[in-house]
Amino acid sequence: MEKILDKKQVDAWVAALTDWEVHAPVLEDGIWAYQPVSGAVRLNHPNTKQSPKGFAFPQREIFFSFEQIKGEPPKLTQIMPQAARHAVFGVRPCDGRGVPRMDKVFTDHVDDPYYNARRKNVAYVGLACNKPPSPNCFCLSVGGSPVSTDGLDVQLTDMGDRYFVKAVTETGKTMMAAASSLFAEPSAADKKQLKQIHADAVAHPQRKINDPDGAPAKLEASFDSPLWEEMARACIGCGICTFLCPTCHCFDINDEVQNKAPLKGQRVRTWDNCQFPDFTMHSSGHNPRENTAARLRQRVNHKFQYFHKNFGMHQCTGCGRCVSECPVGIDIVTVVNKVTENVG
Amino acid sequence: MSDNIYLPQLARVASIKEEVAGERSIKTFRVEPVDGELFEHQCGQCAMLSIFGRGESMISIASSPLIREYKQFSIMRVGRVSSAFHELEVGDVVGIRGPYGNNFPIDDWRGKNLIFIGGGCGLAPIWPVITTAVAQRDNFKNITVFYGGRSPRDIMYRAELDKLRDAADVHLSVDKAEEGWDSYCGFVPANVMDKAPSPSNAIAITCGPPIMIKFVIQNLRQIGFTDEQIYTTIENKMKCGVGKCGRCNVGKDYVCVKGPVYSWAELKDLPEEY
Repeated sequence: MEKILDKKQVDAWVAALTDWEVHAPVLEDGIWAYQPVSGAVRLNHPNTKQSPKGFAFPQREIFFSFEQIKGEPPKLTQIMPQAARHAVFGVRPCDGRGVPRMDKVFTDHVDDPYYNARRKNVAYVGLACNKPPSPNCFCLSVGGSPVSTDGLDVQLTDMGDRYFVKAVTETGKTMMAAASSLFAEPSAADKKQLKQIHADAVAHPQRKINDPDGAPAKLEASFDSPLWEEMARACIGCGICTFLCPTCHCFDINDEVQNKAPLKGQRVRTWDNCQFPDFTMHSSGHNPRENTAARLRQRVNHKFQYFHKNFGMHQCTGCGRCVSECPVGIDIVTVVNKVTENVG
Repeated sequence: MSDNIYLPQLARVASIKEEVAGERSIKTFRVEPVDGELFEHQCGQCAMLSIFGRGESMISIASSPLIREYKQFSIMRVGRVSSAFHELEVGDVVGIRGPYGNNFPIDDWRGKNLIFIGGGCGLAPIWPVITTAVAQRDNFKNITVFYGGRSPRDIMYRAELDKLRDAADVHLSVDKAEEGWDSYCGFVPANVMDKAPSPSNAIAITCGPPIMIKFVIQNLRQIGFTDEQIYTTIENKMKCGVGKCGRCNVGKDYVCVKGPVYSWAELKDLPEEY
């Protein structure tokens, strides 16, 4: 389904999505963040500071609560996510491509019930990148594209005073059908313009990973490279690279106790971080990844070797957040290029 | 069982036995289901044990899959959850979910000589294989067990090991000589070298401290065992048990799913991140 939507009608469309809680990027204190909106949707953001991964995989969520009176067995109460449906507007193609990667993790081998419960209630309304919103974009290097619809339910393309709107999934069609009178049929000229915008978008220069297809084998061969230590020397282990990443999924599970006697608390999942020393530290104190070099190597290998071997795709969508936001200038594009150059 | 992979089943502690006292004490717990039955498991698999309010920890199941009434865990006091286990009393209720990981391919080992080599609390993960093999004694040829501790007080499953002598050759050792100890004195790898079990039609299964495993494998290779004849287990910090939380990987695979059991042929080429 392909339609034209006048930009002035976006708010009317949002208002018509009564089955959905609509979220869109809002600029506050200089930071673009997804927030619930009921109107005034202006999709003029570069990209949001955080990826939209939290809609299906929140930074903190409760698995179950437990209560125990002394001498009695504990009582567990499963807490499944509530069925709020979220329509996320303005998702950039890189973040859209993060969605199927997260789906792989949380449905491979066994289903994660919490992720699935949220995921099935999220729709992603994407916004194509007519030009790279960040100087650190490199989606083309990792199999993506500034006009990719992967992971999206609807794709919007900015055509000046209107959007070219494409339904990608059945959910997307339903969302457009909720306000069908707002949408117009695209003319031949509209389609031609869309084609030109998309062609220009793809032709726009980006940063480049030199040999993404060769990266898995080359990284495997470079496990003992001295470059890891050199590249990680500045790392302060803050973990911002993983928290902002649209595909980083590592998590921790812990018990939070509200009351000791009678015992009352909950088991929670929180985002965790492969750049933290205690992420892999055994109780004995032994740590298989004991320094920043080993931890940077793990992150890069997870993204460009291990995930690719397991799922046939890189676990990086080229959004460039980890490059832009690293406080010490560690740059995954440079790291991959440097480590893999002159290998094999 | 619930479809929720993270929701534990409740299990009651049926017995607690102190195996080893002191700073690195080991206790053996047998747990029974509060309601219904516990899951079935295979030799070598692990379970995620919970003490509500303290957290979860991945522990290898130390009882044979043939035993359905209870599951046994031998836990060394080292961290937050294991310390909480050491404070438990009989009748207390814990959480359990599993089973996790792969298993020892014991059915492929029919007709073979089995040589078990354990050190410290590394006897627990291979104990289900030992006891299953003994329970199915006719399926196997010679069963040999090497096991050692730092001192006589560090030998776990003392009574069970004595009972095992009817069905298996048992070679105990302690690291340092001590009065009243009449078995081997020296490290486990040295005891293996000393007895030099034949690699002919044999499988060697080893578990213990990493440094012990390293030298055991080195010595087994020297005696003539091939990489395919040697099995061991590895451990890493785990949170989910189902290959999602992202921390226990060695190379592309998560130990909680593809491990903990590896043949040396599989393990030797992997990065040493365990």
